Amino acid sequence: MTLDTRAEAGTGPASAAWPIRLDGVSVTYPNGTAALRDVSLTIEAGEMVSVVGLSGSGKSTLIRTLNGLVPVTSGTVTVGPHTVTGLSGRRLRQVRGHVGMIFQGFNLATRVDVYRNTLVGRFAQAGALRGFLGVPTAHDRDVTLAALDMVGMLDKVWTRAGSLSGGQQQRVAIARALSQEPSIMLADEPVASLDPPTAHAVMGELERINADHHLTVLVNLHLMDLARQYTHRMIGLRGGEVVYDGPAAEATEADFEQIYGRRIRPQDRLGGRT
Amino acid sequence: MTPGTTAEPATRSELPPRPRTWPRRTLIVSALAAFTVATCLPAIGGVEIDLGAIAQNWRRGAANLSALLQPNWAFVPRTVQPMLETLQMAFVGAAIAAALSVPLTLWAARPTNPHTPSRLAVRAVINVIRAVPDLVWATILVAMVGVGALPGLLTLVLFDVGIVVKLVSEAIDSADHPYLEAARAGGATQHQMNRGLALPQNLPLFANQWLYALELNVRISAILGIVGAGGIGRLLDERFGFFAYGDVSVIILEILVVVLIIEAASHLLRRRLA
Repeated sequence: MTLDTRAEAGTGPASAAWPIRLDGVSVTYPNGTAALRDVSLTIEAGEMVSVVGLSGSGKSTLIRTLNGLVPVTSGTVTVGPHTVTGLSGRRLRQVRGHVGMIFQGFNLATRVDVYRNTLVGRFAQAGALRGFLGVPTAHDRDVTLAALDMVGMLDKVWTRAGSLSGGQQQRVAIARALSQEPSIMLADEPVASLDPPTAHAVMGELERINADHHLTVLVNLHLMDLARQYTHRMIGLRGGEVVYDGPAAEATEADFEQIYGRRIRPQDRLGGRT
Repeated sequence: MTPGTTAEPATRSELPPRPRTWPRRTLIVSALAAFTVATCLPAIGGVEIDLGAIAQNWRRGAANLSALLQPNWAFVPRTVQPMLETLQMAFVGAAIAAALSVPLTLWAARPTNPHTPSRLAVRAVINVIRAVPDLVWATILVAMVGVGALPGLLTLVLFDVGIVVKLVSEAIDSADHPYLEAARAGGATQHQMNRGLALPQNLPLFANQWLYALELNVRISAILGIVGAGGIGRLLDERFGFFAYGDVSVIILEILVVVLIIEAASHLLRRRLA
């Protein structure tokens, strides 16, 4: 399985962005918690969208329905030409291969070097035999190294991931997602474990991915200023329901109070760059 | 504390009552004590322990002890070959077990094998292997494949696989593996995740138990010969049969020295792994 949009070696991953569509999506966990209630959304290809809400609002669940990490209870999720709902096995892995994801906790194997952590992004493209033996192609290697170069981590390629700083680990995680040559980039609270300057650097990286590679970027945030500053459209979630959907820059304090369900507090802003 | 205009209460918050645990603790301790005493009462089917035997047989015991305290150093050259056989069995057994333990461990742990029936099947086999004591394995295998180093080697492999798979798979079960979620989100197969991430990430756990297995092997293989499974134990059994206590004490001292050397070496190696 190869992508048709092959970048020349060195210029890095490139592929066509995908739209995202949710139709009446509800998720109820086995313990009875209703995490999403009848959510319908359309995100155009190439949009940069934030999903804002407090913890427990359902934003982590929402982002995980898009790559099937969380199965929906009812409704339909569509990414690009694929309906994620009901997919499993090889076909689900193929769709996941086109959807990059980064996490709050970076989710790197700490005792494994940066190169092998980043190479994980190429796993979905591996043929049966190479996948079984774990042998990457020369092309896999080129794409991986180009992705690391793009986030400025090429000089750390043989370093153990666990010995890097938080910001560096998140950059490696971004490189891992980019090496998938994805059509959609998902980010679940990507800066919640980082200090303010590093958080701005990582958000800037996501902004650049959206602008330079024209990827659809969906980022979960709980801080209002980050959402306003880095994303164009904002979706507010509260109690598993969409309570705001509109331009991020123009969202008022009242809109945020509606999303949070309480008054604005100082900790709702990160501060730093304006 | 000043009774102020602030919202905080002026008095200290009430200390919750400490839970009463001593009646329960006393009950458990006295139950254990009563059970222990009961097992030593022959009248109600307990074991019969005749401490008087120590006093009655002290003269024979003292004679044997003094014989053991006079090692027959001239016997040393005859022990070299069997001791080498013991060490070979220990090393080869640990190496074969190490190779077998990798796939079995990954199949026996939930994060690396979400498929419950196959995981339970592997665990059941490992538990059966572990439930049979090493000397019983050796006796069975001697009956099956004949006297010599081979049944000893097979016993050590079974014993080591049981230990390594159980300890490492439980360690993998109890740890968090966020990197596996990231790889799953990127479309990796379980095999790719295990091979590319879980194995290198958990290699220090494996290495630690492999070295521990080697230590145990040297100790166990010294006595396996008693049931005919090769090594220094066979010589020990033979000299004991001839009441050659001077030779026996040389063998015991040699086992002691070799075990101490292996343990010291393995301790050094393990500290470097940590």
